[in-house]
Amino acid sequence: MSGHEARLEHDLTAEQGERFREYIHEHSGIHLDDGRTDALRISLMTRATRFCHESLDHYYELLVADEAEFRELMNLITINETSFFRFPAQFDALRTFVVPEILDTRSPALGSFRTWSAGCSTGEEPYSIAMTLLDAGIDSLGHHAEVLGTDVSTHALERAKAGIYTPRSLLNVPHEIVTRYFEPTATGHRVTDPVRDVVDFRYQNLIKEPYPSALMGNWDVIFCRNVTIYFRIESTRRVVESLFERLNPGGYLFIGHSETLTGISDRFETVEVGGVFLHRKPTAAVRVSVPERPQSARAVAAAGAPQFPARAVEPGAPASEPSGAAAHLRAAQALADNGDFDAALERVTEAVRIDPALAAARYVLGLIHLRAGRTDDAVAEFGRTVGIDDDFVLAHLNLGNIHRARGEHAHACREYEAALRALERSPDGAWSEFLGGFDPEVLVMTCRRSLDHCSSMRERG
Amino acid sequence: MASARILAVDDSPTILAMLEEILVSAGYEVLTAEDGAEALESARNGKPDLILLDVMLPKLDGYRVCRLLKFDQKYKAIPIIMLTAKAEEQSMATGLRTGADQYLTKPVEPERLLEAVADELAKAEG
Repeated sequence: MSGHEARLEHDLTAEQGERFREYIHEHSGIHLDDGRTDALRISLMTRATRFCHESLDHYYELLVADEAEFRELMNLITINETSFFRFPAQFDALRTFVVPEILDTRSPALGSFRTWSAGCSTGEEPYSIAMTLLDAGIDSLGHHAEVLGTDVSTHALERAKAGIYTPRSLLNVPHEIVTRYFEPTATGHRVTDPVRDVVDFRYQNLIKEPYPSALMGNWDVIFCRNVTIYFRIESTRRVVESLFERLNPGGYLFIGHSETLTGISDRFETVEVGGVFLHRKPTAAVRVSVPERPQSARAVAAAGAPQFPARAVEPGAPASEPSGAAAHLRAAQALADNGDFDAALERVTEAVRIDPALAAARYVLGLIHLRAGRTDDAVAEFGRTVGIDDDFVLAHLNLGNIHRARGEHAHACREYEAALRALERSPDGAWSEFLGGFDPEVLVMTCRRSLDHCSSMRERG
Repeated sequence: MASARILAVDDSPTILAMLEEILVSAGYEVLTAEDGAEALESARNGKPDLILLDVMLPKLDGYRVCRLLKFDQKYKAIPIIMLTAKAEEQSMATGLRTGADQYLTKPVEPERLLEAVADELAKAEG
């Protein structure tokens, strides 16, 4: 491969294109035909350049080794891409296995067979699901099908609701399905009313909880395919956990053909049907029809009670009392740890609103401002922190660091000195939980060294 | 190899300041980064001899930073010590084949940290 290397910084050779196409096909089931070479080339260049790879061969090695990178690449290649019956084997599994299994155990009186298509884009997936459910004979068995498609793109949702598709988007749909479930119109093929009657659409951002009540629970099947590739792993875990809670016991989660729940959730049972891996919510945990003892929180959750794991307020802590502020603060810290600073800011602001004198909340608010580059706001919050608790060592330290970075050495010295005094007065104050387990002695040394540096700078200046 | 250059990466400015303190006191030269993208940039341009890498980082998490460096011919020789919050994260990191040279669980004792740094630098030298 070395023969290509110098030139390949700028282009994709036919041979490389073939290699990437084969790998992508093998691992995603997506075949990139010649018409999509540009999408492939642009996506490869974008990713390879981002990580300073010298050649696309080199980038290929990374792609093979790093599943996350593969997902990033596919994310780019398939932006907004969707089609009817994408990965047909999953729809076969739904029709031949999942629907019969679920209907087998329940009476039509228990309500609709409910399927949620999370991240439905322009509607191809929820309509495919509805067609599959109708094909499975749900109606003739006396059950009613209900399919909900949600997405974050209002533009995509408008197109989904219109339900009119070009002949090109129906290329992979069997002729017999086209004649049964579509009707030709002047602008394209329109999904027929019996299918449309089953499907509803609404806006929903998967990582913004709480979900509206319509999405709270009782889903038999959730399709969330190739959506999680947009999220960081922490957010993916939260989303999957949330979907788990919203499934009926015995319900199924369909994820993308190339996706895995390894390292994301171990709560599902994996079921293999015709080469397709499905993820079922266990039923055992909720066989509590005659509970002899109080149900565990987990069993209650599994039974469909709404839970918001990442944003859980401590049970029993009324939101209007100071303990509520502490719970919001803990949630904010967890969110900030996961890199979700917007949500963290929301929670810590709430904590400060409930208890304006909670020094730790002021400090965390300062850290979030600092992280977002709002240094003046950070200075103000750290200032308020030490106004409430002058012994909050870390607020003094951060103020010292900010002044030092601004070249305000006299100010910085005052803050480092204040930090050292506070350390002496209260070596295990409220601030110490933010030390990451380090010995306060290391902090003393850190403050002393910073003070020495600023003192010498001040003398020179 | 007390003059080695260490890149320390942590998203908490306080922890970062303390890591810096521990390393500088031991005679190392220290570069710092507060998020994954900055870490990658610094690893590529700052010529560190070793990287101390926290897992939870904004923008790109530590696992990904580690993989991207370890699968890059140019940088894969730089020893990487990952700092994880819990032991279970270590087994996960191993499972994810991050390619890190060593994992330390936080909180880490300064002596243990310096020992690991010295070990990895010696291995890289030898």
